[in-house]
Amino acid sequence: MVAAFNEGKVIREVVGEVARAGWSIVVVDDGSRDNTAKLAAQPGVMVLRHPINRGQGAALQTGIEYALRRGARSIVTFDADGQHHAPDIESLVAALATADIALGSRFLGKEIEGASSRRVALLKTATLVSNGLSGMKLSDAHCGFRAFRASAAPKLTITQDRMAHASELLRKIGKSGLRVTEVPVTVRYTEHSISKGQGGLQAVRILFDYFFRS
Amino acid sequence: MIIRLILLSAISSIGWLVFLRRNRLPFHIMTVFGLLAAAGVAIVFPETTNDVANLVGVGRGADLVFYTAIVVVMFILVHYYTKFVELQTQVTQLTREITILRAEVDRVAPPAARSSTGLGL
Repeated sequence: MVAAFNEGKVIREVVGEVARAGWSIVVVDDGSRDNTAKLAAQPGVMVLRHPINRGQGAALQTGIEYALRRGARSIVTFDADGQHHAPDIESLVAALATADIALGSRFLGKEIEGASSRRVALLKTATLVSNGLSGMKLSDAHCGFRAFRASAAPKLTITQDRMAHASELLRKIGKSGLRVTEVPVTVRYTEHSISKGQGGLQAVRILFDYFFRS
Repeated sequence: MIIRLILLSAISSIGWLVFLRRNRLPFHIMTVFGLLAAAGVAIVFPETTNDVANLVGVGRGADLVFYTAIVVVMFILVHYYTKFVELQTQVTQLTREITILRAEVDRVAPPAARSSTGLGL
C-alpha cells in the first residue's frame, strides 16, 4: 500500500522495487498535480486515484479499504518517497505470525541513512510526545512503514485526513488490545524524502489536528 | 444621526435576507426578527442598553453590547468550525467512494488506453 502525492520523481522506482520483490501493490495517488498515477502504473500494480487531494491519512484509508475489498490478508504501508527499503517488507510480514500489527522502527539498531542530528532529535521528541498520547512504549513514533493483519483493520480506521493519522493510529492501537511488535527497518533519507517530510513547524499543525479534528 | 441610519439599514438588510430564506422554520425566523428588533430598539433608544447593563452589573450599555457581541461571534466561530470539519470528513468519504468505485469499474471493464492491471491481492 503506497500513498503518493506529487511523487513523479521517484514513484516509478519505488513501486518497481516493491513489485520486483513480488508483492501485490495498491498505489493511491492523492490527487497529484504531476504524472504520479501514470508513472506508478506498472504490471502488478493497482493504481487508485483520488480526484482531489485529501491528505495522506485519507489516501491510506482508501488504499486499506480497497485492499480489504480485494481480499488482502495482510496490509503493509510503504512510503512513496523512497525512504523505505523493500526487503524490509518481508520481515514486517513475517512478524505478523505472532502479532496483529508490526511497526517499523528507525531506532532499533538498523541505521538511519542521511539524517541530520537535528532530525534525529525531532524524531525522538515526536516519539516521546506520541508515547505520552498513546500510552505505549515504542522506540519510534511516526514511521510510515507498518504491517497489520486484515482482521485488525476495522479497529484501525483512519479518520485524520492529514498527517495526524500517525498519532491517531498509535492511539487506536494502544486502545485496541491488539498484539503489537516492533521491527527494525532501514530508512534512507534523501534530499527528496526530506523535502517531502515533516519539519518542526508542521508538528504544531499535526498536534492541532490531533486535538481539534476528531 | 447618520450612524443610526447606517445601522438601521444594515439590520433591515439582514432582516430582508432572512425573510428571503423562507424555507427555514418559522421559529427560526421569529427568533432572528426578535433579535433584530432588540437591536433596532438599542439603536433608536441607546439609553435602554444602559438600563439593561445596570441590571446585570455592567457599568455602561456599550460595554454590555461589546461583551455580548464577542460571545456571540465566538459561538458562531465554533459552530462553523464544527460544520467545516464535518464537511471535510464528508468530502473525504465521497472521494474514497468515488476512487474505489472507479477502480472497480476499471478492473471489470478496463479502459483500453490504460495499462494498470488489477492482480489478485
